[in-house]
Amino acid sequence: MHRRRALGASLAMVFWPALAAAGPRVAALDWALAETLLALGHPPIAIVAAMDWNRFVVEPRLPDGVADLGLQPGINFERLAVLAPDLILTSAFTQQLEPALARIAPVERFSIFEPGPVPLAQPRTLMLQLGERLGRRVQARAWLEEAERRLDDWRARLAARPQRPLLLVNFIDARHVRVYGGAGLYQNVLDRLGLVNAWTGPTGYWGYATVGIERLATQADLQLLAFEPLPPDAQATLRRSPLWTQLPFVRAGRVAVLPSVLMFGAMPSALRFARLVTERLGA
Amino acid sequence: MRASTLALVLSATTLVVLALLLHAPVQDVLARPAAAGYDVERMVLLYATLPRLAMAVLCGAGLAASGAILQQVLRNPLASPTTLGIEAGARLALTLATLLAPALLGLGRDLVALAGSAASTLLVFALVRGRGSTALAIVLAGLVVAMYCGALATLLTLLRDRVLNSLFIWGSGSLVQQGWDAGLALTARLALTAVPALLLLRPLALLDLADDSARALGLSVPQLRLGAIAIAAALAAFVTSATGVIGFVGLVAPLLARACGVRGFGARLGWSVVFGALLLLLTDATVQLLAGDAAAFVPTGAVTAVLGAPLLLVLLPRLRPTAAPADAGLGTAAGHAPAPARRRAGLALAGLALLGLLAAAVGRTPDGSWILPSPALWPVLAEWRLPRVAAAAAAGALLGVAGFVLQRLTGNAMASPEVLGVGAGAVLGVGAALFLPGALAGLGQGVAAGLGAVGVLAALLAIGQRTRFAPQRVLLAGVALNALIDAIVGVLAATGDPRAMRLLGWMAGSTGAITAGEALQIAAAAVLLLPLAALTHRWLTLLPLGAVPARALGVPLARARLTLLLLAALMTAAATPVLGPLSFVGLMAPHIVLSLGIRQSLPALAAAALAGAAVVATADGLARTIADPIELPTGLVSALVGTPFLMLLLARRRPVSSLQPEGCPA
Repeated sequence: MHRRRALGASLAMVFWPALAAAGPRVAALDWALAETLLALGHPPIAIVAAMDWNRFVVEPRLPDGVADLGLQPGINFERLAVLAPDLILTSAFTQQLEPALARIAPVERFSIFEPGPVPLAQPRTLMLQLGERLGRRVQARAWLEEAERRLDDWRARLAARPQRPLLLVNFIDARHVRVYGGAGLYQNVLDRLGLVNAWTGPTGYWGYATVGIERLATQADLQLLAFEPLPPDAQATLRRSPLWTQLPFVRAGRVAVLPSVLMFGAMPSALRFARLVTERLGA
Repeated sequence: MRASTLALVLSATTLVVLALLLHAPVQDVLARPAAAGYDVERMVLLYATLPRLAMAVLCGAGLAASGAILQQVLRNPLASPTTLGIEAGARLALTLATLLAPALLGLGRDLVALAGSAASTLLVFALVRGRGSTALAIVLAGLVVAMYCGALATLLTLLRDRVLNSLFIWGSGSLVQQGWDAGLALTARLALTAVPALLLLRPLALLDLADDSARALGLSVPQLRLGAIAIAAALAAFVTSATGVIGFVGLVAPLLARACGVRGFGARLGWSVVFGALLLLLTDATVQLLAGDAAAFVPTGAVTAVLGAPLLLVLLPRLRPTAAPADAGLGTAAGHAPAPARRRAGLALAGLALLGLLAAAVGRTPDGSWILPSPALWPVLAEWRLPRVAAAAAAGALLGVAGFVLQRLTGNAMASPEVLGVGAGAVLGVGAALFLPGALAGLGQGVAAGLGAVGVLAALLAIGQRTRFAPQRVLLAGVALNALIDAIVGVLAATGDPRAMRLLGWMAGSTGAITAGEALQIAAAAVLLLPLAALTHRWLTLLPLGAVPARALGVPLARARLTLLLLAALMTAAATPVLGPLSFVGLMAPHIVLSLGIRQSLPALAAAALAGAAVVATADGLARTIADPIELPTGLVSALVGTPFLMLLLARRRPVSSLQPEGCPA
């Protein structure tokens, strides 16, 4: 195993000199882990689906030279073996790859999200754990302090004026939305900001439910926030549907669009979502 | 059961479910006058529930009519809008439009889907052009086109899963409505299509006679066929573009009519429409009743199969064998091929094998350039590439032979492990391991897949026992099981659960993580099972002659069928954990062999193993390199590599034969 890794590292040096610099070389198989690493100033050498990062995670920006391991169901093991990382980080989402990954480098699994009484407790813990593991404890604490300061600030600004209950949705097509709530990251952020979710229905383990748009008429006075990307033909169809046009919040024009935020993200995504919501609500 | 009795039972059940579903909201809405503002119950009843029920009736009727016409015109109980590739074409068009030209979707999802189904249907026609459009040729071409579109659409979906989430719901057929627009539009389109359909009623009824007799009565059979298929395709395309894939109704409703012993095409069409409408209405009302506000969203198209498949299984023993297509037998000719032909076949096989070896050798570096193996790379190659290539080739050989055995056994050129549902059973096993907590969760995916495959096999055997393993019925039972399992997977996928994505990934057949130990296991299975299959070569030669001649020549029918079925199932169960259920190598390999003119059982069996292994090895190499850094799933790429080849063969070959029908009284 040791010899193989040494050889892989030398191969990586040939193919990817920029990444062969000193420091523990980490491959992150989950975007939430990758964004936390970026926030800690310790970028991963390889992640999955790097080509989609700027479309769905957006920030923090992915630096150039991070190798792309392809997509999660069948990641490029041969490529990862050639890159020979010192450490591979996984989450519950990539758990099933662990036996194969362990043939390349030591694997450590981190919990991205767990429902709990304190909003954002797990993403915060994750950042501290990763900081500890990579010798970046100071950076982790500083980052979290700054995040809390901003969240407090936004919460105060939002509280300065009355806020309607919010519906957070992704349009899947013109007839269905994914509506968020329950135990998800978004709900945690709403709780932290003192905002109320208008969706009180069941949301399943992952914190969202897929429902027809008629189910959105949960209460009369609410604000709808739809995440990008919107399906191209949804708007035209919605404009013709009485079910949509006669929804009170649609008639009152309280429908807004938010840029994409990583739903299964960690602290950086939570902070990005909190900022976007605060801006959108005009606070 | 008579058709009217069945209709009565279905109607009564539907009425009960409708009453349960509607009485509360209707009372609610009637009890209070139209209030100002958004009365949720009222809006939902008027613009969601009622139009949705109307849509269910429309779609059920349209698909059933389409299926009835297709089954009549192709004289094949397996024909349906799904079999002809209409739905797969529409789905692929939507996927492509979403990826490449989203503006097209703005013009209208309907138009895009319609264009896709038209294109896939035209391709089917083009493939069989000039060959008299025989029934079996069209069904086979339809299956190949459906396979290709389906594989491509699934691959694109996997690659862009986040963008294409909507297609999961669309793919599973959701009837959810948000007004009357879509229903009215569909009504107009179906009504328009009904006019030519009614005009063709009488000529189509004459097809109950054999082609020759119909021709003697002054019918242009090929023209009639093309016209009728165009109508059936339009019916299905209109429905599919409005709601998504609800294919099972188009298959099961006409079969129900047939199983009820309805005689005459007009009556069969009528009863099919009734059954289709009732079946989908009942399904959808049940879904609405059970799902309500609380349950997660469930696509009706998928649930239709959950209800319809068991019904089909119950009715199977009552199905009368269909009239035999008038084509010649497949693979029955004994005797040696002429020497030049043999040399050509040998060269072709050697070429295939070489292609597979070359594909296994090439690789890409992290900066994207192509490389051949070098000593420095050897440790990585030995650890990662060698096992996957070996496992993929062994699995390809197993599937190729399994398909060959099944085609000889059933006398049906469409038979393959994929069609039989054994692979789908493996998927169900893995799905259960992923979703059910507790005991099953601890099982490895390989064990779970094996259990699922054996489960389907047991079900097939139980059904087979009742029909004395009559091949066409076992095949139909396989189709029903497949639809059932597809439906369950479809429901899981539509929930958007990340575990469903994992299951879909597994179905695609990724070979990247295979260990040397696993590769050895599958190779051992091949070494054990392939010689066993070779031992049955005499049965494989004689069975396609038909039951009576085969028995006369000393084949113990029931025992031979059971043995071959078991063998094919075992080979499939061994190969599916590697390639997933979607590779269609089991369908392709025997056809490649047939097109090379290899007829004798033993050489054909060996050639099927070699062809299967070579196709999959080539696909594995392509899967690893063409989309770098993304590794594509080998199983799906196999389907994409093999199908164009199969299409080429289909287009060039003389009429595809059908083997003997089962129709021999046992």
